[in-house]
Amino acid sequence: MSEVHPHEEVRPERSPYAARIRAMEALLVEKSVLTEAEIQDRIEYMDSRTPANGAKLVARAWTDPDFKERLLSDAKSAARELGLDATHEAELIVVENTPVVHNLIVCTLCSCYPRAVLGRPPDWYKSFEYRSRAVREPRAVMREFGFEPEEGIEVAVHDSTADARYMVLPMRPEGTKNMDEEELAALVTRDALIGVSAPQAPSRAS
Amino acid sequence: MTPFHPGDRVRVRPAEKPGHVRAPDYLKGRSGWISCVLGHFPNPEDLAYGLSGMPEKTLYRVSFRQSNLWDGYEGPDGDRLYADVYEHWLEPEGER
Amino acid sequence: MSSVHDIGGSSGGPIDRSQHDVEDWERLADAINSALGGKGLQTTDQHRRAIESLPNYRDLGYYERWTAATEKLLIENGILTQAEIDEKAGEIERRWGGS
Repeated sequence: MSEVHPHEEVRPERSPYAARIRAMEALLVEKSVLTEAEIQDRIEYMDSRTPANGAKLVARAWTDPDFKERLLSDAKSAARELGLDATHEAELIVVENTPVVHNLIVCTLCSCYPRAVLGRPPDWYKSFEYRSRAVREPRAVMREFGFEPEEGIEVAVHDSTADARYMVLPMRPEGTKNMDEEELAALVTRDALIGVSAPQAPSRAS
Repeated sequence: MTPFHPGDRVRVRPAEKPGHVRAPDYLKGRSGWISCVLGHFPNPEDLAYGLSGMPEKTLYRVSFRQSNLWDGYEGPDGDRLYADVYEHWLEPEGER
Repeated sequence: MSSVHDIGGSSGGPIDRSQHDVEDWERLADAINSALGGKGLQTTDQHRRAIESLPNYRDLGYYERWTAATEKLLIENGILTQAEIDEKAGEIERRWGGS
């Protein structure tokens, strides 16, 4: 690990593109195309988007059937109810896992992702391997993540090819009847919101 | 342009078009069903070159049987693939 | 023939699930791109098109592609020139002690 402060101004960065984006930043500010504050705003906006937002939406949907209806019919306004502003997002669509279908999200052409809710996509989601294989062999891909839908469940892959971004509403695991919203949210991982895994109830130990 | 409705059988045009296109190659020439209308959006193929993208195009979610897309697909017949396809990339199934 | 970015269904090896910490310049690339979009100075589709037409698409990392595409569009849209970006980037590299 480096000992340099994360915001150190003159830190050399390994990619040759680091100097280029910093050059563009300096020039855009010099020419008043953008301000430092506008750039900082966007950085903070993205930093504040994390999978925890998706987990919150899911936990609410698990405990409030009316909210679930709204989440599935108009995800953006449902998100707004929980104080989550997804206005920068293209269309936001939540697809529901059920006892008969399991959903998986991919973007084969680039790496479209519900960034306004979940933040920046993980590296593997952007990899050529995931993008090329998730449509053709979703079941093999899920096995690589250690997950296999139960026998009889159909798999639906969503390739976000255009102006919609997709997020999965996973099924609430068995044995979570007594858990509150916060405890439920803690079960929902980023991978489950993409569909390469599913939430598990905590083991019953002690 | 034919307006499509949920349940309609459609085929993704097997056309080659240079430039920015959002209809992926693996769906070209493949048949599926209109699942729903997602809305109307400026045409990305024009937006990509700084044009207005007007008039707006209808965007459909189209469902495909995975076993129709891939040789030797691993999974039951019910496995589906959904993709979002613009109206100008779709034709009624059967039309040549 | 499909373009370099149109890879759905092609074969590939195992998925590398390791994650790198997002670096500051990557957050910056993300932010500048989004701020330019917010000001109507570029569209998502322009940016995608610029990414897809990079000759070294397969060799670049994700935010490297973003940065290269943003550069291309800034020049194409007459907001910055290649010469001034090159010069400024050179200055920054020299400050970092690169050669």
